[in-house]
Amino acid sequence: MAPKRSAVSRESTPSQSATQTTTIPASTPIKSKSANQSPQQVALGIWQNYLDKTPQRTKLIDVFMAFLVVVGVLQFVYCVIAGNYPFNAFLSGFSATVGQFVLTASLRIQTNVENKAEFGEVSQERAFADYVFGSLILHFFCVNFIN
Amino acid sequence: MSDTIVEPFLKGSTGRNTRGILRLSILVLIAAAAIASRLFSVIRFESIIHEFDPWFNFRATKYLVQNGFYDFWDWFDDRTWHPLGRVTGGTLYPGLMVTSGIIYHALRALTIPVDIRNICVLLAPGFSGLTAYATYLFTNEMSTSPSAGLLAAAFMGIAPGYISRSVAGSYDNEAIAIFLLVFTFFLWIKALKVGSVMWGALCALFYGYMVSAWGGYVFITNLIPLHVFVLVCMGRFSPRLYVSYCTWYALGTLASMQIPFVGFLPIRSSEHMSALGVFGLLQLVGFVEFVRSGVPSKQFATLLRGFVLAVFAIAFGGLVLLTVSGVIAPWTGRFYSLWDTGYAKIHIPIIASVSEHQPTAWPAFFFDLNLLIWLFPAGVYLCFLKLADEQVFVVVYAILASYFSGVMVRLMLTLTPIVCVAAALVLSHLLDTYLSIKSPSAPTDADIDAASNAAPAPSKKAAKQDGLRAMREPLVGIYTTFSKTSVVSALTAYLLIFVLHCTWVTSNAYSSPSVVLASRMPDGSQHIIDDYREAYQWLRQNTKEDAKIMSWWDYGYQIGGMADRPTLVDNNTWNNTHIATVGKAMSSSEEVSYPIMRQHEVDYVLVVFGGLLGYSGDDINKFLWMVRIAEGIWPDEVKERDFFTERGEYRVDEGATETMKKSLMYKMSYYNYNALFPPGQCQDRVRGVKMPDQGPVLNTVEEAFTSENWIIRIYKVKDLDNVGRDHAAAASFERGNKKKKTTKRRGPKVLRVE
Amino acid sequence: MRPLAIASAVLSFAATALCVEQGNLTKPLTSRVILPSTFKPPQNFKNANLVHIVSLEKSHPKESINVVIENIATTPQDEYFIPFTARQMETIGGLEVKDRKDPEAGLFEVEAVDFDIESDTQFYRVRLPKPLAPKAQQTLGISYSYLSALHPLPATIAQQDKQYLVYTFSAYAPSAYVTSKQKTEVKFPSTVVPEYTIIPGAKGELESPQKQGSKFTYGSFGEVPAGAVEPVKVRYEFTKPLIHVSRLERDIEVSHWGGNVAFEDRYTMTNRAANLSKQFSRVEFASQQYYNPPSTAVKELKFPLKVGSLDPYFTDVIGNVSTSRFRSNKREANLEIKPRYPVFGGWNYPFRVGYSADLKKYLRKLSSGTGYVLNVPFLEGPKQPEGIEYEFIELRVILPEGAENVKYSTNVPLVTAGISLHQTFMDTQGRTTLTLTAINIVDEYRDRELIVTYDYPFFAILRKPLVIFVTFLGLFAAAWGIGSLDVSIRGKRS
Repeated sequence: MAPKRSAVSRESTPSQSATQTTTIPASTPIKSKSANQSPQQVALGIWQNYLDKTPQRTKLIDVFMAFLVVVGVLQFVYCVIAGNYPFNAFLSGFSATVGQFVLTASLRIQTNVENKAEFGEVSQERAFADYVFGSLILHFFCVNFIN
Repeated sequence: MSDTIVEPFLKGSTGRNTRGILRLSILVLIAAAAIASRLFSVIRFESIIHEFDPWFNFRATKYLVQNGFYDFWDWFDDRTWHPLGRVTGGTLYPGLMVTSGIIYHALRALTIPVDIRNICVLLAPGFSGLTAYATYLFTNEMSTSPSAGLLAAAFMGIAPGYISRSVAGSYDNEAIAIFLLVFTFFLWIKALKVGSVMWGALCALFYGYMVSAWGGYVFITNLIPLHVFVLVCMGRFSPRLYVSYCTWYALGTLASMQIPFVGFLPIRSSEHMSALGVFGLLQLVGFVEFVRSGVPSKQFATLLRGFVLAVFAIAFGGLVLLTVSGVIAPWTGRFYSLWDTGYAKIHIPIIASVSEHQPTAWPAFFFDLNLLIWLFPAGVYLCFLKLADEQVFVVVYAILASYFSGVMVRLMLTLTPIVCVAAALVLSHLLDTYLSIKSPSAPTDADIDAASNAAPAPSKKAAKQDGLRAMREPLVGIYTTFSKTSVVSALTAYLLIFVLHCTWVTSNAYSSPSVVLASRMPDGSQHIIDDYREAYQWLRQNTKEDAKIMSWWDYGYQIGGMADRPTLVDNNTWNNTHIATVGKAMSSSEEVSYPIMRQHEVDYVLVVFGGLLGYSGDDINKFLWMVRIAEGIWPDEVKERDFFTERGEYRVDEGATETMKKSLMYKMSYYNYNALFPPGQCQDRVRGVKMPDQGPVLNTVEEAFTSENWIIRIYKVKDLDNVGRDHAAAASFERGNKKKKTTKRRGPKVLRVE
Repeated sequence: MRPLAIASAVLSFAATALCVEQGNLTKPLTSRVILPSTFKPPQNFKNANLVHIVSLEKSHPKESINVVIENIATTPQDEYFIPFTARQMETIGGLEVKDRKDPEAGLFEVEAVDFDIESDTQFYRVRLPKPLAPKAQQTLGISYSYLSALHPLPATIAQQDKQYLVYTFSAYAPSAYVTSKQKTEVKFPSTVVPEYTIIPGAKGELESPQKQGSKFTYGSFGEVPAGAVEPVKVRYEFTKPLIHVSRLERDIEVSHWGGNVAFEDRYTMTNRAANLSKQFSRVEFASQQYYNPPSTAVKELKFPLKVGSLDPYFTDVIGNVSTSRFRSNKREANLEIKPRYPVFGGWNYPFRVGYSADLKKYLRKLSSGTGYVLNVPFLEGPKQPEGIEYEFIELRVILPEGAENVKYSTNVPLVTAGISLHQTFMDTQGRTTLTLTAINIVDEYRDRELIVTYDYPFFAILRKPLVIFVTFLGLFAAAWGIGSLDVSIRGKRS
């Protein structure tokens, strides 16, 4: 399953952050086939769009998510290359990054102004408190699991 | 709430408080009813642990309480599965024991001296009260009518399908698991509705608790992803869905991996793959949605969707590949038997031999759910009418649980909550509609809710609310008082009958401890047949501390719990070969079984014999399963066919086959039995046959104890003979008659024939 | 009865586990006076006439010595010594001495004195209430029993066989003084005595024993020096169980609020009778049930409880035992219990019996002050024709929380006594508990009284309700306080 998860996270990382300019081209060729614009333009358009519309805080979150992706990928690569001997340790490390990633993504979604309508009951401060709560639980489990 | 107020006494904050208090008191009453209806067995018998598995849980709990948590976690039990032992700490679901341990220590801290046994006995009823509350919360998320929640709670409290596993004394994992199941689902719906990380995290925490409590957690593990998958397929992906599911999965999986018994299963076994797959899918969909929000091109989005599907297909292919290559464990036998009811019978007789793993008979649905099973489809239909995210959940749950409950009797348990919820939705809808106008007749009003007669106020309020809606949509209104009264009174009657049925079923079918049997004396007074405990107590007091007891695995936990003696096999059937060994020893002739018993250092053999009393759950009736399981391992030495006569009958009387008559089990069951009757009148009352006058002869074991009604017979395995004779010779010498020489000569001859 | 049984089962689960563990202690006598090793009782007395009666009618031999003692010293004496061997000292129970002529005078003060662990002879010291003047005579009645002194021979018998017991004793009564004249009478349960020691008569006297039905008489003998022993061994039929309780824990819990006194006895019982030579046969047992022949198995135990006892229960480690009957009316309260299985020789059966009663029957308030007097039976064990022996008894009287100034009195010989605290049912301070232990008690002590006096001040009575009230008040206040706090997180902007 591990390979699959990695695939998932690798594919989904640009989804939220899109700061990884390197990964963007991976999906652009598909798009460019049907779209009339050139891939370069599309990518640039997205990037520009992102830079314009995103508030500073959200960007901060995105950077953190990008960092998590890098860490996760590194762990996975290490596991593939050097073997997964303390499997517990690898697993808890890897799940910590994945878990933190989805939690951060959730925070990002919740604090996004566009989603205000979806999250009527969740204010920004509440979202952040939830985020802290979730992270605490996550890391408690990870530390417990690492042995 | 406050905008629906019509009546003056329900106005403003006073009204809210009144309703709040009413609802609270109704819930408390429902919980009390739920607990009280489970106490039949305590009142009729005593505070005792029931049946088989609970005895192990009880023993483990005592170990936990005495030795502390860490010892419990690392518990290696050398008193079961002799000589293998069992890593008990790592092969059980500790949630139940830890829960009662915590309760025990909390009460101790308050200096309330409660025996751990009473905590164990009363845990299930206590949690059933909580289940009723959880069902209330869950249903409230489904319906705007507050009466639905109360009705569902009342149904859940008294539905026999749930009572069957949660009467006082049935200290089994299900006792707390059903509460956790319902509560986890409630939290999931809540998380999905609010889209909050906190609810998702709470859901994950309770999911973790559930994992620690019951193997049935796999149901949640698959149901929630299925729900999400269905929602995504319906095009209902929303950021809320992403937040709640991802939080739940990331935290819940980690939480479940904390349990040693589960360990790496969530990433290694096929049962858990769907959750992971849906997790990946959500990441993709989330990404796509994100990009789409940035680039509003329709074609582009369609293409992205194609891309997502492609990735999904690739991932699925990878999963299949990994399963085939063995990285991920394929589905276990128990799981296959869920899809193919015939599978277990052919491949895993040990699973098929358990009665609760049999497919459900149709009457059982009516027996366990009564009226609710008729209302159930209507409730599902209502959910289709108003298909929001949470209604989809009900539909998915209903379909899945109905299938599983049809496959295995035991899974009726998972069906019960959703049946209660669906039925409550229907009933509350009906009542809301038919109790809606200004001239509601007082008497019908008073007994709307048959289970808890304090219900009128909320449902009346609900009725008003619905009435207003009815004004807006004139089609819905019911105008004649006659139809109203008749429908309402019919419903009331049904509900009353339902309550009667529940009480009757609980009292008659589910409240027997099975350790203690009750019978009626001619004068109508109750007579208690306590043979099991008689024999277990005898073993406990009058045999060596480490005397090994061999018995069929059904009784392993009871021997461990009540007699406190090491056993060869028990209800934790983790080692099929070992069980088959016992089966072989029981079904072979003495000459074959004796070496097996010596090898395993067996000191005593325990058999259950119901012939004298007419107790049908005895070992002779289970004997064929022993034979089958033994045959699975030693097809050459044990053959099921040999135990049937030529006409294919299973007989124990004169006409029994030679193999049958020679088997250790047969001999031990009927040894000396004929001496109890005058010649020619020896009768087996279970199988209703006349037994031969000449009883079987035992050489290698001797009768050590027989309980008052002969239900339990204990035999001591003889030591090797001092003078080196074989046991047949020694035994016939002791009997001292020449006639036996012939038997002795016949013995080896038969051996050669075999 | 059942809810109570449940409640009590709650109480004593752990305790049973305990008593199972501590089955057979060899208990040294704890109250002793250590004398110098050269000690030899001063020859101040002479036994003028002595009758030694050995009664073997029960499952434990009971010996009584009626002796006329005479002071042969020149000064008044008040210390009379009785010698026993070390082995006898371990198992002797209930040694009592009283004046035969004046039974009203009560029991004399008796004390085990020990001068040397190595020595085989050890003494009991009897202190006469009034020093005996020179040449004066006094008649003493000394009685005692031995526990675990009877042994079945053969040691294993078949299920229906008759059991024979062997008892070894001395035809000369144990004495530290010269005895002028004595005889020993042995009372057997039946006339079947297949083996016994014959003592040839000296100087034309009849040879001993002389038989009179089930009574054998050895002697009379002439003058015998101090410490003389003439071993006699008898083997006789005794087809009854030898019930031995190696440990009895008895709890008496007094509740002023409930107006109730609860008793619970936990027995660790063994049958010391001959073991079965073969395994137990149910067929044989069932077929004999009709005739109900005398048997060495314990099939039933009868507890005549005090009139007015309520809610009795009979349980063992694995739960309630349904085979008990309780007959209660104005005149009697009989509890008859049947063990789960017939307890044959060598088998164990630990069990627990409990009941409660109205406090008014046992407790009286002193007219002055806050004092109370509690009068309870020390022992309420089963009453069997064959008798029962108790190796170790631990009696706990649990008084209400806050009881003080506890005093007790009983005429059962005690080993230790202590006062401690016992925490239960929401106690803050713990209940005052009086713990008494006794060893080697036989069932003749059944109805001996234990009188406990204590003070129970008025404040102590109100203590618990106050504590609970304050706790709940605090809880509600805290709940209200927390409930009114606003901890919700919401956006300032929204």
